Amino acid sequence: MALTITCPVCGKRNGYEFKFGGEEKGPRPEEKDLTPKAWCDYVHMNQCVAGVQKEWWFHKDGCGSWFTIYRDTTTNLEKEAGLANHQEADKS
Amino acid sequence: MNRFNHLPTLKIDTAQKISFIHKGKKYYGAKGDTIATALFANGIRIFGRSLKYHRPRGLYSLDGESSNTMMEVDGIPNVRCENTALKEGMVIQEQNVKGSAENDMLGFLDKLDWLMPAGFYYNVMHKPAKLWPFAMKQIRKAAGLGKISPDFKMPGKYDEIFLNTDVCVIGGGPSGMMAALSAAKKGLRVILMESRPWLGGCFEYRSREYQNRLTLHERAHQLSKEVESLENIRVFTHASVVGTYNNNLVTGFQVGKQKDVFDERYIEIRAKSVVVATGCIERPLIFDNNERPGVMQTGCALRLAKTYGQLPGKKAVFSIGHDLGLEAALELHDLGLSIACIADIREDGQDPALLKKISEKNILFLKGWVAVKAHGRKLVKQVSLSSIDGLVKRKFTCDLLVASAGMTPVTGPITVAQGKLKYDTHTGFFLPDVMPEKMYAAGRIMGLEHPLSIETSGKLAGLKAAFDCGNCSIQEIGEAKKDLENLSGPVRGTKLVTAPVKGRKSFICFDEDATIKNIKQAIGKGFDVPELIKRFTATGLGPGQGGIPGHNLPLYVAKYQALPDISIKPTNVRPPLVPTFISTYAGAGHQMFKITPMDEMQRKDGGVFRNIGVWQRARYFSSDFSCQKEIENVRTNVGILDGSTLGKFRIYGPDAVKALQRVYVSDMSKIKEGRVKYSAMCTDDGCVIDDGVVVKQGENDFYFTTSTARAGQTVEWIRYHTRYDGWNFALVNLTDSMGVINLSGPNARKVLQKIVDMDISNEAFGFAEYKEFKIQDTVPVRAMRLGFMGELSYELHVPSSYMKSVWLMLKEAGKEFNIQNFGVEAQNVLRMEKCHIILGSESEQRTNLLDVGLGFLWDRKKADAKTVGAVALRQAENDQTRLKLVGFKMENNGRVPRDGSLIVDTKVRGYVCTARNSFSLKEAVGMALVEAPLAKTGTRLEIFEDECGDHRIYGKVVEMPFYDPEGKRMKM
Amino acid sequence: MFFKSKPMWGKKTQLKSSYDVVIIGGGLHSLATAYFLAKDHGITDVAVIEKNYIGFGGAGRNTAIVRANQRTQYNVPLYKEALDLWPVLTKDLDYNLMFNNCGNLNLMHSEAAMNAARMTIATAQFHGVESHLIDAKQAKEMVPALNISEDITFPIHGAMFHPPGGVIRHDAVVWGLARGAAKRGVEIHQETEALSIGTKNGKVTSVTTSRGTINCKQVLISAGGYSAALIHSMLGIKLPISVLTIQAMVTQPLKPLLNHVVSSGAYHAYANQTLKGEIATGAHMDPWPNYTTLNTAHYIKHQAEALSEFLPCLRGIRFMRIWGGLADMTPDMAPIMDGNNQVEGFFMDCGWGYFGFKSCSAVGKYMSEFIAKNECPDMLKPFALKRYEEHRLMGETAVVVNYTPDN
Repeated sequence: MALTITCPVCGKRNGYEFKFGGEEKGPRPEEKDLTPKAWCDYVHMNQCVAGVQKEWWFHKDGCGSWFTIYRDTTTNLEKEAGLANHQEADKS
Repeated sequence: MNRFNHLPTLKIDTAQKISFIHKGKKYYGAKGDTIATALFANGIRIFGRSLKYHRPRGLYSLDGESSNTMMEVDGIPNVRCENTALKEGMVIQEQNVKGSAENDMLGFLDKLDWLMPAGFYYNVMHKPAKLWPFAMKQIRKAAGLGKISPDFKMPGKYDEIFLNTDVCVIGGGPSGMMAALSAAKKGLRVILMESRPWLGGCFEYRSREYQNRLTLHERAHQLSKEVESLENIRVFTHASVVGTYNNNLVTGFQVGKQKDVFDERYIEIRAKSVVVATGCIERPLIFDNNERPGVMQTGCALRLAKTYGQLPGKKAVFSIGHDLGLEAALELHDLGLSIACIADIREDGQDPALLKKISEKNILFLKGWVAVKAHGRKLVKQVSLSSIDGLVKRKFTCDLLVASAGMTPVTGPITVAQGKLKYDTHTGFFLPDVMPEKMYAAGRIMGLEHPLSIETSGKLAGLKAAFDCGNCSIQEIGEAKKDLENLSGPVRGTKLVTAPVKGRKSFICFDEDATIKNIKQAIGKGFDVPELIKRFTATGLGPGQGGIPGHNLPLYVAKYQALPDISIKPTNVRPPLVPTFISTYAGAGHQMFKITPMDEMQRKDGGVFRNIGVWQRARYFSSDFSCQKEIENVRTNVGILDGSTLGKFRIYGPDAVKALQRVYVSDMSKIKEGRVKYSAMCTDDGCVIDDGVVVKQGENDFYFTTSTARAGQTVEWIRYHTRYDGWNFALVNLTDSMGVINLSGPNARKVLQKIVDMDISNEAFGFAEYKEFKIQDTVPVRAMRLGFMGELSYELHVPSSYMKSVWLMLKEAGKEFNIQNFGVEAQNVLRMEKCHIILGSESEQRTNLLDVGLGFLWDRKKADAKTVGAVALRQAENDQTRLKLVGFKMENNGRVPRDGSLIVDTKVRGYVCTARNSFSLKEAVGMALVEAPLAKTGTRLEIFEDECGDHRIYGKVVEMPFYDPEGKRMKM
Repeated sequence: MFFKSKPMWGKKTQLKSSYDVVIIGGGLHSLATAYFLAKDHGITDVAVIEKNYIGFGGAGRNTAIVRANQRTQYNVPLYKEALDLWPVLTKDLDYNLMFNNCGNLNLMHSEAAMNAARMTIATAQFHGVESHLIDAKQAKEMVPALNISEDITFPIHGAMFHPPGGVIRHDAVVWGLARGAAKRGVEIHQETEALSIGTKNGKVTSVTTSRGTINCKQVLISAGGYSAALIHSMLGIKLPISVLTIQAMVTQPLKPLLNHVVSSGAYHAYANQTLKGEIATGAHMDPWPNYTTLNTAHYIKHQAEALSEFLPCLRGIRFMRIWGGLADMTPDMAPIMDGNNQVEGFFMDCGWGYFGFKSCSAVGKYMSEFIAKNECPDMLKPFALKRYEEHRLMGETAVVVNYTPDN
């Protein structure tokens, strides 16, 4: 595989420029009445989706922003990658 | 041997002799020879012995699919001589032989194959258990091919380049060149990778007519001239592709020519689109002794003559299944090879023109016949042929058996990029079924053989690639497609998998000495899919990987189990597609470390440097690693330390305080101007990961430090934990642009006062205060009064560009006090005496803020800030089973335990973090993390050191800190 | 022929409509658990359900290194038992597992690393596991190919030498355990995909597979890298796991060169020589979750750069094959073994990261006891899932494991 990630600022770049930041779990929960289980769910637990997931990435060797993408964990391809050209070429 | 020297296809120059040493004897080859063709020209037929049975092995192919011609060359083992260029003075040795390749004393093993069925080693040699270590030693000695000396130094230069391009074409044969040309003519940048030292592929050595009296090799020449004339095609010859990956990353390496500045270079290419035009190798014919020296593939026999100017033998039998075999026989016949017989596996379907020529030349031609056995103990002397059904047999005398079952497409670049293949009944090939995105196949790997079909498929692939780059219309692609459809399509392949033999000596994999019989044995034991058979019999796991068995294994497994065609699945191919030197992958080598502005000066002062994280730092300033003098100097006089590796940041903007509140455990809204605020950051688990100081520089404008180790992750960390909030702040990493000088010791003030104009008395610039000033009206300094080492101390933050000047001024000013450098280890001891922790030394992953006694930093009344770690700290606050940091002294003035020693009773209860013989206190002290019940002052600690056996030493928990408990010295 | 060909793990049979225990995953932990269920507890009505073929996953993709020099007092005894079991299994299974008890040399590249090693060594010695700190010169004597000069990126200060460790033929363990389990009545169903687990009133009732539904009261998921996704999709239980690809590669075969397993944390590399003579090497992971088992251009180059420095003679050797496997990493580098917790009759054995191979023998023994007695053996108690909620990470690594900035 040769992962590429599309940074909203810098565009499509080599995946090794980025750092993975976990599955999308929503904003930090309110601290009041947060049970150990709910806390643990937010901090540690993952769904480990085999398929497309929304996830965070950080452009460490670039602009330094955090952003989300959709990626298929079974192919390591971003979901929004345009397939259109390829298919059209084959249809003709 | 007399070699041809006038053929237009020759790549050798017999006029230029190259000398080399083989087994101590001097030989000559011609310029352009590979090692193997030079050896062959000198009459050498046996190159080495096989792995398991020590069978003689010789030249079988010229493309490196097997270990047959692997030899040791200039101390480098496993060199594939068949495609390694001969160089002046090379020293060549045989491998895996006891005696010589000609007379190998282990040759008798070939008769013992019945003792070694597939997987036999799993069932023997473990009973009795004592036998195994001896047996293992013998196995290790017998296994392996070449040997390398542990102090071998690889000569040569290794380069690396990283390229971007529009189209990358893999394969410089006719279809690859056409693809490159059609994409280049669309104005695109093209890279063409060809593994042989020249372009031309399967056209390059053939004299058959292409069109209008033009031969194939003339056509190859025409195309390569055109390719080389286009400036937007960058051609890499002698450059093998070793890996392809999704998103069109292609890797390979190039072998340098004489004039190149590298011996090999690693190439990594990011392309918008890729064309795979890798052509075919041959599918080995399986019969008894099918790898005996004297048996070789069609292309090998033909290219020996046409490229390397030598006949492959005197009298030949051909056993082939493809028109290329007939073509080769005719060409070789015309060059003087005597042909006893051509046996063609096919009953029909041959090119009538070729048949006509064969009959014109009175060559015996048998349709539906195949070789069943090569005779001759070391070299082929006779060949038995049989009708396909095995009923009729004939024997011929010969010294060459050209054997090939047909073609095998080289689909590695497609499958390692996750393309999918499908078995095709017509061609007998695994043909591309699902191609990776923006990758196109062209040429012979599609089953095409007609020269025009090959070229047109290349053009089509080139246009499709151009389309991906936005430079080609769909109409044009449609036209090229139509052109291809009007030409002849894929050629029918032979169905034959093995000759009618039992298979005891019929090798499906040469490298691992795996026979057809072994495959049957594996299937009998329940290993019924090719991937499992590979593992059980090692088929395809040798130096040549799947080169020899890759196509035949799945075919045979399906045939033996009488499975339908649809179930035939190719075995996995894995990178590197060509075995590749570690030196080549490693490339140019890289310098890994950062240095501080004070690097050179500290080295001049005798600094002993160590790698610490990404930095190189001065750890000691003498060969006394206890650092007694450095420590005593700081305690009694004044020392200077380069602290430039500290993380340094500025955060500013309307929401800067909110961000600080999120990541720091303290209440950061209460930072006073002119004061230094010490605080810590935790993970969500409450585990402390960083400590440092924060100062206020202005309204919503802060400067803060982190530990050296965390500097690289701090921006990421703060932005991560605020990523949902949309807060308005800017965060700048100043680590490299600011240096830090730490001036410590009772005389520190006197030294500093000499170079600054302002009042720095204790009253004017007290402990834990922050000042900004300029030295000589020029150098801006941010100064902090800190006490990490327990003495009067100034931490001066200076722009990196001024660091040397300020350092020299301080050294000059300190001369009268005899100011001395000190390093990281002295600092470590000094701060330990003061019980100031270093994260990573007095903490580990599971240690939280409270465990290390930093709970006083935590402000619980800011739940709204959602401080990272606060929830966990609250939940773990009353957990009595956690480890606690304690100080200890050794009993009876005993010696210091080594760092990392355990605190034990009947179980492990903790461990020693840092302990030293303290020069300041004249006794051994240290800090340890221990279970809560052991943390009370006065508790006796039983210490278990490595290698202590039954001996224990004991310490006692004491109050912290050890040195200057009232903190007077750092506040003076 | 001196041995007859018989399918090693029984003929292909129909799936029955019920079993006492169903084990999902046909890797080493599953096969070992099945084997010990039958052997030690007389529970033979067991089905092992494997989507591909046995040993398809991590069992066939690891580099076969075994050792018991872990860091904490919870792990060391478990791995020690695993190590002690290899000769026993070789005998009991009557299958040559080819245990090459060559010892492991873990290189240390700084004073701090030497101190950290000392704690690991002391922990091993305290638990009766042989392990010693040696200096660079001693290391060089044991591995003459080592570069102990100062002019490399991470100069070698010394090493942690662990004589009882070594290398085992991983495929032999798979096949030997499968044969041993099958002999005792365990059914191994390959090319059978588990699709869902049926529960009623908080109890396991069935497992539905691609070949039909099986009634059962106990089910174990020990499917290596695929466990977390299966457990979440079948039972909605989330785990603190990140599934990463870890790669390994081999060079062309050589006559004996390395007589020990050599590893280096700083270089992210280990190397050992297989019985066939290849130098097998690996260690680094691509730090983002995925299920591809694909290799990368980045990694094989990294590995070459690392080996070029500390084993420089290997520069003259060629890599011939690279592959990838899955490592299900937890934040504290320690596994999760739990059962009868969220759902009665449901057991899990996962989160092994890249330690699944070395532990399989002992885990099979204790997980089978857990399942047979419905009570967690003391040995496994520290590995319960609850520890993450209680902020009690295990400390198997000293430093934070960075898969995400979180943990």
